[in-house]
Amino acid sequence: MARSIKKGSVVVAVGTKKGGFLFHSPDRKKWSVAGPFMEGGAVYHMILDPRDGRTVYASAPMGSEPWGPAIYRGRAEEEPKATQAFPKFKEGSDLSVSRIWHIEPGPSEAPDTIYAGAEPAALFRSDDRGDTWHDLGSLNYHPTRKEWQPGGGGLCLHSVLVDPRNARHLIVGISAVGAFETRDGGRSWTMENRGVRAEFLPNKYPEWGQCVHKLAWDASGDGSLFQQNHCGTYHRGPDGGEWTEVTKGLPSDFGFPIAVHPRQKHTAFVAPLVGAGNRVFPKGQMAVWKTTNRGKAWRRSTKGLPGPGAYLGVLREGMAVDEADPIGVYAGTNTGQLFASRDEGESWKMISDFLPPIFSVTTGIAQ
Amino acid sequence: MLVRIPPALRSYTDGQDEVVLETTDVAAMLRALEASFPGIRDRVVDEAGRRRPYVNVFVNEELIRASLPESKLNPGDVVHILPSVAGG
Repeated sequence: MARSIKKGSVVVAVGTKKGGFLFHSPDRKKWSVAGPFMEGGAVYHMILDPRDGRTVYASAPMGSEPWGPAIYRGRAEEEPKATQAFPKFKEGSDLSVSRIWHIEPGPSEAPDTIYAGAEPAALFRSDDRGDTWHDLGSLNYHPTRKEWQPGGGGLCLHSVLVDPRNARHLIVGISAVGAFETRDGGRSWTMENRGVRAEFLPNKYPEWGQCVHKLAWDASGDGSLFQQNHCGTYHRGPDGGEWTEVTKGLPSDFGFPIAVHPRQKHTAFVAPLVGAGNRVFPKGQMAVWKTTNRGKAWRRSTKGLPGPGAYLGVLREGMAVDEADPIGVYAGTNTGQLFASRDEGESWKMISDFLPPIFSVTTGIAQ
Repeated sequence: MLVRIPPALRSYTDGQDEVVLETTDVAAMLRALEASFPGIRDRVVDEAGRRRPYVNVFVNEELIRASLPESKLNPGDVVHILPSVAGG
């Protein structure tokens, strides 16, 4: 397999149940692949650090499953190696990290900082590229923690958003717990779930307990957000406060990923499934839905996507966009196909088949 | 006492497949391993001190079923750290 990645190529990092892969292409027409990396291990998340375009970080078990979680780091052309340290809870907490679900680069002004979202739900920060880790205690030992209950996917912290305008402003999402926001670098957190439904609780609009599936910044750049939830799709305006449900126009209120346009405000892509009880695309037709007006209207795209007869899904980290013009959109399925669109989601082409089930898809530009 | 190191953990021991130690229980054995090979203890037990699921520790040919740290060791014992049959 080709391993040399040309500078300027779009890189699509794909984490799967059995290893990680780097798809790369200078023109997004012909793709090459490097990998598998961390062969045989479940790669929950894999990124090309956008701050240098060379460093790959990945989350996978150490060696194989029994030895606990690990953060892997390496140059894009090389096999990443497990860092000596990995995120851990403080002694005496009686908690232990079982998995790392998400790795998020820190702000551009702190190129050695990365965040890790863990199971059971917790946020960790490293300021030295993963060699040592800090436990963000005010979130990880939040007063409500003893009441947090895992959802079907576990009690995982999967979304970590760092505000590009202010590195002390972060928003995180925890399954079956909700969204939390800090404006002081993690010293204090507020729950940000107003307006979000929780159909599985007696109180449909509780302060917390909502099952957020994925959060993403709106490209408006003013702090607006999109959210895909277990119970609907939402948008929140720049001033915070209540979320507005924008599910109307979608085939269901259930899906996992949400990806946003990097430059065009109020523009997002979702992949709704039948529902919580049947996590496949409606009518056996894979479809990606796009809004350009913060969810007031949605448009369905199926050109080049499989169906009818395609009973598959896309997991929460399974969709991403690149920053080319026009942008590329990528969706990896839980049955091992990787689809790409070079025209902002209008049409699709399968760029790989017969991969292991895909856990995560992220993009970057090789430098 | 001899500790046999599984292949997956030899990145911590510079490739050594066995380590000779003098300790009287598993807790002390893990501390001694950690002192020589930082990070290796976390692969056998988690940060709360519990044995990781699907990690087995045998003394000679006997699986330790009791609390791992408190299990006693004797001179001449051979300790095996092994992954159990699991996966998918």
